[in-house]
Amino acid sequence: MTILTSWLTNALTLGLIEAAPLVLAAVGFTLIYYLNGFINVAYAENITLGAFFAVIFNSVLGLNFYLTIVPAALLSGVVSVLTYLLVFRPAMLRGVGPTEMIILSVGLSFFIRYGSRLVFGGDLYNFDNVSPAYYSFLGMGITSFQIVALILVGAITIALYFFIYRTSYGERMRALASNEDLALVSGIDPVRVSVLVWFIAGVAGGLAGVFYGVFSFVNTLLGWKLILIVMMVSIVGGIGNVRGALLASFGAGIITAGIALVASPLYGEIALLLLFIVVLRLKRARA
Amino acid sequence: MGLPTYVFYSLSIILVYVSLATLLQMQFGQLGIVNFGIVGFWGLGLYGFGVLLLQYGVPYLPSLILATALATLAAFVLGWIILDLDSQSVLVATLAFATVVADLATTEKWLTEGIRGLGSIPYPLDLGGDSELGLFLIILVATCGVLFYAVRLRRAPYGRLLAGIRDNEVLARGIGKPTLRHKLIFFTVTSGAMGFFGALSASIQHFLVPTLVAPTVTFSVWIALIVGGRQSPLGGLIGVLATIAVFDFLIELFVPIPAGYAQYLPIVKLMLYGLTLMIVLLYRPLGILGARK
Repeated sequence: MTILTSWLTNALTLGLIEAAPLVLAAVGFTLIYYLNGFINVAYAENITLGAFFAVIFNSVLGLNFYLTIVPAALLSGVVSVLTYLLVFRPAMLRGVGPTEMIILSVGLSFFIRYGSRLVFGGDLYNFDNVSPAYYSFLGMGITSFQIVALILVGAITIALYFFIYRTSYGERMRALASNEDLALVSGIDPVRVSVLVWFIAGVAGGLAGVFYGVFSFVNTLLGWKLILIVMMVSIVGGIGNVRGALLASFGAGIITAGIALVASPLYGEIALLLLFIVVLRLKRARA
Repeated sequence: MGLPTYVFYSLSIILVYVSLATLLQMQFGQLGIVNFGIVGFWGLGLYGFGVLLLQYGVPYLPSLILATALATLAAFVLGWIILDLDSQSVLVATLAFATVVADLATTEKWLTEGIRGLGSIPYPLDLGGDSELGLFLIILVATCGVLFYAVRLRRAPYGRLLAGIRDNEVLARGIGKPTLRHKLIFFTVTSGAMGFFGALSASIQHFLVPTLVAPTVTFSVWIALIVGGRQSPLGGLIGVLATIAVFDFLIELFVPIPAGYAQYLPIVKLMLYGLTLMIVLLYRPLGILGARK
């Protein structure tokens, strides 16, 4: 019984901590999904580039880790806006359908991933000068980065919630997502709202990359390894449902952490993916 | 034969891609199923065959049949769970399935030897120096069979039924067609065929490692089909010739690349695939063959 309860608390704490970057990525991904109605696979590269920006600032320019977070996040936001303006917006104007948009985003994802592979090579990058403080919590070690990640996730989620449901920009975004024609007639500028949403999504993705990177290492496949879980979490959480994405991310984090405690981490991923397929099925049956 | 072995190796791989792209043309172009798990079915055939042959000592032909049956069964179960979901869910679920297959190839060392690799797999016919040629001819016949079926399907009443389901499933169901059953059967058979080509690919590769079942296989097939034109049964063939054959055959074998740069070729290739995919979808969404409508 004690083994079971300690496994449970460990799975819960580890899961919460592991889910923190996942929540950021899932919320950003969900915003784009909600606004434009398609799955953006290239969001994976947004996560990767966020981590690389931070590594460059950190190890090449020698900035303190916490100082690298802000410029890395802002640059990721800019990259996200650029992908929207250069690729996705022209595609939407040309009337490319939702399935083709996904394939298009796969193309963009490949282009950026292997482009950055040419630049950065296949090596693993680590953050320099990073010696986190360790704290003990319920018998488990927690690093200061993990605490910062958790706090940032909380702050960003609350900010996003207010943005979506309490500000006029959020209202315009919801209007655009639910009825574009009506929103245009009401005088909403779709480009301004979309640019803002893609920027926020890019910032969230970049931050997710930074925290994944600092927990382990950074390479060009970082985002790709995450994007499948991010996509599944967002679909299970419901289209554009920030609360749903949050709950599903934490659930996913806890399940993978729980299985990784007793077996190979890959089994955690396998169980999660199979579970997601079943949940999709159940959601459909209920609807 | 005067041609060196590696020519048949490359040509065999290209033929497998032609078959996969044509099977995807039937699934996506004809029926509208967004299968992003191609490498999962192909990989089940590949590893199923290797494991049966080498770990359990099953002879060649029964291994081939059982491995195909394994991929077919997996396709049936997966299709039964997901095929009535929306296309985005189907896409993510098939991608997840392929990831599970790749993960299992790594973790189940008692079956697959994990990253150490499983080998070596013999040719189907032992013809001495011409064994590669024998394998190539077998794959050629199978590929021609797939292409022949794809061309026939487009004109057949069954093909029109599938196109009807793709364009308006509610309407097709409304006139009394069991749309879900048709989708499930067609998806199961065509994905099982992907497994069959996976089993044949085991002999091309000789040595099975989990990196063979990487998602790049799926995306190369998709890129080929989109470039070639998803509406035409020959779209897969044309697309593979325009993309994979150019890089894996023409450039790799005939273009002299300075030694220091050879390692960048696969990376540049995938980058250009991505760029090509974007350009085609933006400026010529129906692909090379699409304009002749």
